[in-house]
Amino acid sequence: MGKIKSALLLVLYTLLIAFLCFICTVSFNYGENDLHTFSSILDLTAKDADLGGTYGANDTYSGGGYSAVYYPEGVISVSEYEDDLAGISDEKDRTDYQNKYRASENGALYLEVGTACDENGAVLASFTEAFASAVETMTARYEALHADGARVSVRDDYTIEVFLPEMLDGEYYTISHFAYTGELSLTYGTSEDAATDVLKVESKESVSDYVTGVSSRSSGGTHYIELHFTQKGADALAEATEKAGSSSDSSSSSTTNYLYIYVGDTAIISLQVSEALTGNALYISGSYTAETAAATAILLDSAVDGTADDLTFTAGDAYQIPAAYGANALIWLYISFGVLSVAMMLFFFIRYGLLGFVHLYTYLLFTACTILCVWAIPFLYLSVEVYVAFLFTALMLSAGNAVTFEAARKEFALGKTFASSVKTGYKKTFWKLFDAHIVVALFGFIAYFIAFPSLQAAMFVLGLTAVFSGLGVLLFNRFAWAIMTALTKKPGKFCNFKREEVDDE
Amino acid sequence: MNKRSKLLCVWIAVSAVILIAGIVLFALFGFNNALDKPASKTVDVTYNVVVELSDEYKNTLSDAGENAFSQNGVAYVEKLELTGQADPSNSSQSDFYENGNVFTVRYVFDSSVSTESLQTAAQSIRDAASGFASGADVDVMVHTLELQDMNASLWRAAVAVAVGAVVALIYVAVRFGIGSALTGLAAAFHDGLLTLAFFAVTRIPVYAFAPYLYAAVAMAASLVLWLVRCMKLRDNAKDPAFSALAAGEAVAEACKATDKTVLILSGTALVILAVCAACMFSGGAAMLLACALVPVAAAMYSSMLFAPALHVHVKGAFDKLKAKRARYSGKKRAAREE
Repeated sequence: MGKIKSALLLVLYTLLIAFLCFICTVSFNYGENDLHTFSSILDLTAKDADLGGTYGANDTYSGGGYSAVYYPEGVISVSEYEDDLAGISDEKDRTDYQNKYRASENGALYLEVGTACDENGAVLASFTEAFASAVETMTARYEALHADGARVSVRDDYTIEVFLPEMLDGEYYTISHFAYTGELSLTYGTSEDAATDVLKVESKESVSDYVTGVSSRSSGGTHYIELHFTQKGADALAEATEKAGSSSDSSSSSTTNYLYIYVGDTAIISLQVSEALTGNALYISGSYTAETAAATAILLDSAVDGTADDLTFTAGDAYQIPAAYGANALIWLYISFGVLSVAMMLFFFIRYGLLGFVHLYTYLLFTACTILCVWAIPFLYLSVEVYVAFLFTALMLSAGNAVTFEAARKEFALGKTFASSVKTGYKKTFWKLFDAHIVVALFGFIAYFIAFPSLQAAMFVLGLTAVFSGLGVLLFNRFAWAIMTALTKKPGKFCNFKREEVDDE
Repeated sequence: MNKRSKLLCVWIAVSAVILIAGIVLFALFGFNNALDKPASKTVDVTYNVVVELSDEYKNTLSDAGENAFSQNGVAYVEKLELTGQADPSNSSQSDFYENGNVFTVRYVFDSSVSTESLQTAAQSIRDAASGFASGADVDVMVHTLELQDMNASLWRAAVAVAVGAVVALIYVAVRFGIGSALTGLAAAFHDGLLTLAFFAVTRIPVYAFAPYLYAAVAMAASLVLWLVRCMKLRDNAKDPAFSALAAGEAVAEACKATDKTVLILSGTALVILAVCAACMFSGGAAMLLACALVPVAAAMYSSMLFAPALHVHVKGAFDKLKAKRARYSGKKRAAREE
């Protein structure tokens, strides 16, 4: 390669890497009074809620998440009880209110007589059973979200504390909607009050005889909910809505008809109906995000197995919980990356001289590409697990580069020309490095397809960065090596390669 | 055959002891998921204020808490500052926002701490708070928490790691032969299970998902380290000087040439994880990274001792099969020629 061409390519390559490093890592304020902020890709990248650290365009996000407590019917907190009592001035009403509730065994709750406990304060068996069933339902809902860090706990025996990481778009939406319990029902009419039951579930039947399940999907940026009906359910829906939009429908001539989808007593969705709804699936779109659509679908799906006797819940006591790994975990993670990178570069510069720059360029490109992908791919986020996966392949990249450098060094020591040494070195190591990267990439991608968060994100990053590492070692490293050594008169010295000394006896 | 290859029975015995102990303890107690706090007790000191509470009052309240706990002989494992959240101001929003007047200091205790002690401490904090002229409405409550298991993601993780390893080893079988893939499969599963068994036996506190992450790390490291051996074995097989060697000698030669690489790779991985854990100082992330040393060490052990010793027998069996097939096809060819 000619010197001018090499110099030009090196300048372009350097500029590209400098640009990528800049947009990936540097954030700053600009404009009058620093009104505008340029956020780096690393700032904008989603992070695991367990990693604390103030970052983001306005330094507003600090990891952690939200927790709330679900109180079942017949159970109130001590503070609610005391507030209510303090608000009753009439002595008789106060006594009535006091007689209505009994303190729970640990004193953290008040239980309503008749609903949750008997006159003596003993918890009713029916309530205990219904509560256990509700806990199971809530746990299944939060598990189905596949949100890394989502937790459900039983608090004080008769309330449920839930936690969602601050990684979702609408934590409130999910927490408030998941509080709804009861069975799924569909009504159709001009208003909620006037609407009549669509499915007409008989006493020996259940909703699952009509609805097989509910799921969410995304297509072309639109997120929607899919209700799947049995033939019986599809017939019932078609029959109920057959006159929709037609002039024979007396109500539709002047008013609009709606399909209401209920969970228990709460209308979750109201759908304007302008024509008969036929077919075994009903697709509902709206202003859903991927997460709100998923949460709504999970809620409706679990309500298929719900019953009219399910306990009802009220969400309360919402708090923001700090990040589990501490307030500065993210900063320490960056520092550890810096320390390791410096140590690695020291090794390369000491052992291979200026050839260390070749590795540095490849390493920076690899890191920048990883950051860009973690930022751009929606289900990826920065976490300790993802960082471990990245370190694994960064080690592969460094080891791969060291292996090729060593192979070329050996060839050069034997007396071959520099160009021939590099060529032979790569020839000898190509398939070995190829195999190693393919095996790790296969392992990562296959595990990604099966696992749930948080392993899923780590496995995808492992597969992806194994591909980047393979390309880096086998393609970009050689390219950088070619353009850099073309500029020097003594490539052997540039790479700290030495000829083998032969003793003449 | 080198010395370590002759000791297959010893390596199998060592691994079997750890694995059996791990399986028994896992069946009885599972992993020690203490970092997830499966059962805990909390003392929530909540103050509801119209204007922001002064730092002086917050400190006084905090001191009252510390005194109350020390007087009752209880120690908390974590202290969290929580900020109260309100519902969105309109129905089109889907996020919480800070209500600005409810703050909670949550002291988290182990579930073994007696509720009576905590109730007494809570009463002491209430008494102390009532003596301050703060204008804040202080509420002190003791809660018990029991985390619910979410097992689907855990068994999916285990299946994912196992299937990932099997598929990767199918590639190894295509490139390096079925014998190498079988040894690699045995080594990868051995390392993954050994890692899980280690955490089950030692009861080191981990997050619920962490053992499966460690199993994945062990399997990935095992695959890479075994590949290093496979590559040398294949190179040697092509070399006339080595191709005629018996299985034991061929494996010993390959090990001799690749031991340094295996040690450097696994040693570097251990150093990297140790540096990361040290940089995180303390807390869950440091623990998570420090425990990742175990799977790398398991992969190192297996690739240095267990896998080569096992491969001597696997390669021996495959070599015999190959020779038998060669004899059979030779006889067939001879018969055809006749």
